[in-house]
Amino acid sequence: MGARDLGVLSLVSLLLFLIPVFYINRRLKLSINKTMITSIVRMCVQLSFVGVYLEFLFKFNSPVLNTGYLLIMISIACQSILRSSNLKVRTLFIPVFFSLLIPAAIILLFFNAMVVRIDNLFEAKYLIPIGGMLLGNCLRSIIIGLNTFYSGIRKDEKVYLYSISLLGSRIAALKPYFKESFLGAITPTIASMATIGLVSLPGMMTGQILGGSIPIVAIKYQIAIMLSIFYTEYFSTILSVLFSLKVGFNDMDVLNQDIFISKD
Amino acid sequence: MIPNSQKINITITPETDKMIVFESVYLKQKNKDIFLNFNLVVQKNEKILIQGKSGIGKTTLFKLVLGFEKMDQGSVTFNGYPIDKVHIKEIREQVFYLSQDIDLKKDKVGLLLDEILTCNPKRTIKDSSLTNLMSFLDLNPEILEQNVKALSGGERQRVGLLICFLLDRPVWLLDEPTSALDDAMKKKIAAYVLDQDKTIIIISHDDVWKKNGPIKIERWL
Repeated sequence: MGARDLGVLSLVSLLLFLIPVFYINRRLKLSINKTMITSIVRMCVQLSFVGVYLEFLFKFNSPVLNTGYLLIMISIACQSILRSSNLKVRTLFIPVFFSLLIPAAIILLFFNAMVVRIDNLFEAKYLIPIGGMLLGNCLRSIIIGLNTFYSGIRKDEKVYLYSISLLGSRIAALKPYFKESFLGAITPTIASMATIGLVSLPGMMTGQILGGSIPIVAIKYQIAIMLSIFYTEYFSTILSVLFSLKVGFNDMDVLNQDIFISKD
Repeated sequence: MIPNSQKINITITPETDKMIVFESVYLKQKNKDIFLNFNLVVQKNEKILIQGKSGIGKTTLFKLVLGFEKMDQGSVTFNGYPIDKVHIKEIREQVFYLSQDIDLKKDKVGLLLDEILTCNPKRTIKDSSLTNLMSFLDLNPEILEQNVKALSGGERQRVGLLICFLLDRPVWLLDEPTSALDDAMKKKIAAYVLDQDKTIIIISHDDVWKKNGPIKIERWL
């Protein structure tokens, strides 16, 4: 039993609702029509490509290909994180890459081995969608983490340097900035765990129910994935700050201004 | 730009160990020469007053010692050690720096003092010395409950000096330490500071420093 297939025409029919949206945008002079169209086209093209890749990956189901695809996903996530955090991809790619890779790999393999208990840990059907969910959620938390951390110190540089001179240690001087950025990054996930099911039915659960799973199975998976997302976010956010310190500061503990994309 | 020849030494204290040595320092910031072959030797326990108009690089001098600023050429040594990655932590632990705006974190004064004193474990401070110093600086005990951002300029300056006296580090770099204080307090502070067995460099426009003890004057034009 699976979800009913959707016809291309029925999919296109959903675009009908864009007519009133365009009309209202114009009347309100919102000037977002262009961005909106670009986003919708990008979504359709990207997802179609993913459909093709996944079909291919699922067919071969090779551990090497699956892992390679996951590494590409992590690389793209890194670029997106750094651009959104106003940080240079060239200087910070490697630290952020490993801060995503290490927790995501551990949690993902644990999920497959201990929770789902599948024999082939690199099974495409599990590795890629679950990996994608972990990475997608980490994206947001690492962006908030890195952005708050570095822009906080940049804005407050005199206070930061003065803290170093008074406290005698970089770690002690960085602590308040780390605390603020880390809490900002993971609080939303903690809050969403508290309201899940009351306000929104999560996408994964909806998908599984449509796909034919009984609700109780869908809910078990949802609990497992929420916990996995939370752990991956937690550790990857900490690691992203930790691993980036070496390039983020010079050997005298002064913030390295070259890591930022824009000058102010 | 401070070529060496433009400095006038008025009083010279007797030669002792060299604490901080600036040797042929060159530094350019935003296409402006801040130091062009700058040289200065600060002896142990010497007191130096630096005067000169703003923007001339007085504060940058302090930042070089703390490793917050890098020079283009030349060398700065502290107690014989270069200011580099290996020595910077130890050097910072020996230097108290009072920045011009006393850039303290926006926290309760009492919490800040606690944090600073816990991070500097070599100093054990008796409650009585805190009370004595606070009354010397005319600070009410209630100030410990106030947030740094609620303090007036003068209060901030006195809290900064309180931290300085409590930490009791061997070298003090004081950037305009008395600018927001009244005359009586300026005099009291100057006399107290100049009486310490410490190496002290002061940047100040206040004449009170010259009148309150032996001090070498560096006038930058």
